[in-house]
Amino acid sequence: MDLSRRGFLQAAALTAAASGLTAACGGGSGSTGGKNGKNLTLWYWGGALSDKVVAEAKTHFSGQVKLTAASIGGDFKQKLTTTLAAGASVPDITGIKGEDMASFLPNAGRFLDLNDLGFKKIASQYLDWKTKLARTEDGKQIGFPIDIGPTALFYRADLFDKAGLPTDPDKVAARAGTWEEYFALGTELRRKVPGTYLVNNIGSVFTMAVGQGTERFIDKDNHFIGDQDHIRKAWTTAVRPYTLGLDAKINDNTWNAAVGKTLTTELGAAWHALDIEQAAPKTKGKWRVCAMPGGPANQGGSYLALPRQCRNPEEAFKIISWILSPENDARGFTDAAIFPAAPAAYSMPAMTGGDPFFGGQKIIEVFGPAAKAIPSSYEAPADAAVMAPFMTELSSIEAKGKKPEDAWKDAVGQAKQIARRQGVN
Amino acid sequence: MSSPPVTGSVAVPRHHGGPGPARFRPRRTPPAGAVRPGRRGVLSHWRQYLAISPFFLIFGVFSFFPVFYSLYLAFQRWDGLGSVQFVGLQQFRFLWDDPVFWLSIRNTLVIWVLSTVPTLFGALVLATLLHSVRRFKGFYRIALYVPNVTSIVAVSIFFGAVFSNNFGLVNAILGTVGISPVPWLSNPWLIKLVIALLMTWMWTGYNMIIYLAGLQAIPTQIYEAARLDGAGPIRTFFQITMPIMRPIILFTVIISTINGLQSFSEPQVLFGSNAANPNLGGPGQAGLTTLLYFYQSAFVNNDYGYGAAIVWAFFVLIMVLVVVNWRLVQRGRKS
Repeated sequence: MDLSRRGFLQAAALTAAASGLTAACGGGSGSTGGKNGKNLTLWYWGGALSDKVVAEAKTHFSGQVKLTAASIGGDFKQKLTTTLAAGASVPDITGIKGEDMASFLPNAGRFLDLNDLGFKKIASQYLDWKTKLARTEDGKQIGFPIDIGPTALFYRADLFDKAGLPTDPDKVAARAGTWEEYFALGTELRRKVPGTYLVNNIGSVFTMAVGQGTERFIDKDNHFIGDQDHIRKAWTTAVRPYTLGLDAKINDNTWNAAVGKTLTTELGAAWHALDIEQAAPKTKGKWRVCAMPGGPANQGGSYLALPRQCRNPEEAFKIISWILSPENDARGFTDAAIFPAAPAAYSMPAMTGGDPFFGGQKIIEVFGPAAKAIPSSYEAPADAAVMAPFMTELSSIEAKGKKPEDAWKDAVGQAKQIARRQGVN
Repeated sequence: MSSPPVTGSVAVPRHHGGPGPARFRPRRTPPAGAVRPGRRGVLSHWRQYLAISPFFLIFGVFSFFPVFYSLYLAFQRWDGLGSVQFVGLQQFRFLWDDPVFWLSIRNTLVIWVLSTVPTLFGALVLATLLHSVRRFKGFYRIALYVPNVTSIVAVSIFFGAVFSNNFGLVNAILGTVGISPVPWLSNPWLIKLVIALLMTWMWTGYNMIIYLAGLQAIPTQIYEAARLDGAGPIRTFFQITMPIMRPIILFTVIISTINGLQSFSEPQVLFGSNAANPNLGGPGQAGLTTLLYFYQSAFVNNDYGYGAAIVWAFFVLIMVLVVVNWRLVQRGRKS
């Protein structure tokens, strides 16, 4: 391609103009001057909120402010951290994923205290254990709960039937009340329906077992407690299906292919129903849900927060409390399988219907009580980082046949090191 | 934000006498009159400097500054948002005691050797073959170069599907001839092999093009003379082609060292769907390369100081390896 001098100059001028334009757009929301701005931006990620509710919020508040919603792709936490650190183009309202909340709490000063804006008055509408996870030790509320992830046991009723086991949710829940009973059930299933597995990997069992407790890896006094009995017990529980031969050892996306075939049960949060439905549409009507062995846990569930730079905190708070009102929460469940953090929504018609994927079962009857029974636990900022080596070592057991006892020692050793690096003593 | 001490071109020390540098002074100091035209020359070429300035501005902001800021961060503790806290050499002490860091170094080196050796050897063979091809030259060149311009992410996803343990293409083919499924993506060595294979796939064509350019620069008279002296194709290759190509091979070895040690996207994408740990390099961390570990420490665990310490320690290692390679390939040149 020949590049003429004129062509080159034109291209250069266009590029310069384009970059100037982007800079102008980007710089728009940087100022923090007044607190009654007319333009508000909302950052969330695909599936975090019901797109329909967000679109309605735009028109609902169009008299007061202009709401611009941006669905941010990629690593959301990283993008938010960078933007907050830079202090420019900060969104006025932003989503924060549940698993990232703990790591934002030490920098609560970057966000507005929602209690000052009126959250205190409506806090009782939302599940207390969820609200508490977005509150600092000194009572500053930085996150407004969007949704939660109450866990349950998903199972293939057709395969249970084939094995001569009960298929009714209540009866299955009664047969699998504890982890040990659940594994016994799995052994029976495997004997009668060969080639099937009870759990997809033992990491998922560990996550659930840890989530059922009130303590995690670091306590409130910032001490490492990942080597203590409650974690040890969760570890032993997780290793059981491996030793019993009930573990499918699936640690990658081949889960998609296995879920409709060899897996008899799945441990997962409410939103996991959608994963199963997408991966195995042919098994429609064959799945059921019942209470999880050993009690419910929580997995996932996000928040909305107002960064300090928010240009109109009053209006922004009105918008988020409207988007997340119990009525709109219930719609989020219908639109995007977002399980509400407001228990009032559980009795609304949008949530009490039967789900055809589960053979018409009213799944809220399982998830509703689970949501209210989730234990309240303390999650330290470094919790996720400290938990990582346990998960890695569990996958080493599966992949390399590493001795569980050696894996435990290595996991604790590494977790201690990570904890030290993160300032935990 | 306090920036680290920057050493740039301004930092060329002015010698105030002293024994060592004085010897060179007569040669380096230009004639007294020469300084002024030089400076005027710089100013009179301002348009040219302006024209090349975008690169230097972007390089300065997005490469030069971050590089030295990360050196500063290696001595701090920082979660990305809060205050930066000076911790001295603590991060490096943690690094020394961290088995995962050493595991990541071992992984990186194994993957590097497993990928670089076949890449460079294959590239040389392909280039020699392609050099003697008469027809469809353009087609072969493009076909072999295409993997290099394909997105790493796309290639990784493709490899992940092909080598999948349970439902992959390779295992399906092995199954038809009666071989039981091979755990490509969970056995520690096979994981490394798959990553190395992926990198070989991507970089053979790139190195081949460089070798081909080198081969075409060798005058045909030399080959004719060799043939007249009775040298066969093998002997010609080892005694004529190889010695003349030495500087080009040296270049590719060094570039491959730098590229090969920085493998990140391959394991990141290959094991990105790993339910338990998306950024820990798959089962048993067998695919955890040093850069992936750095990414995980800094951007997943919010431990930016430790991440910076990892990359700087790794930088030192890369430099050592480049020097070793340089020595190895240069050896025997004088003889």
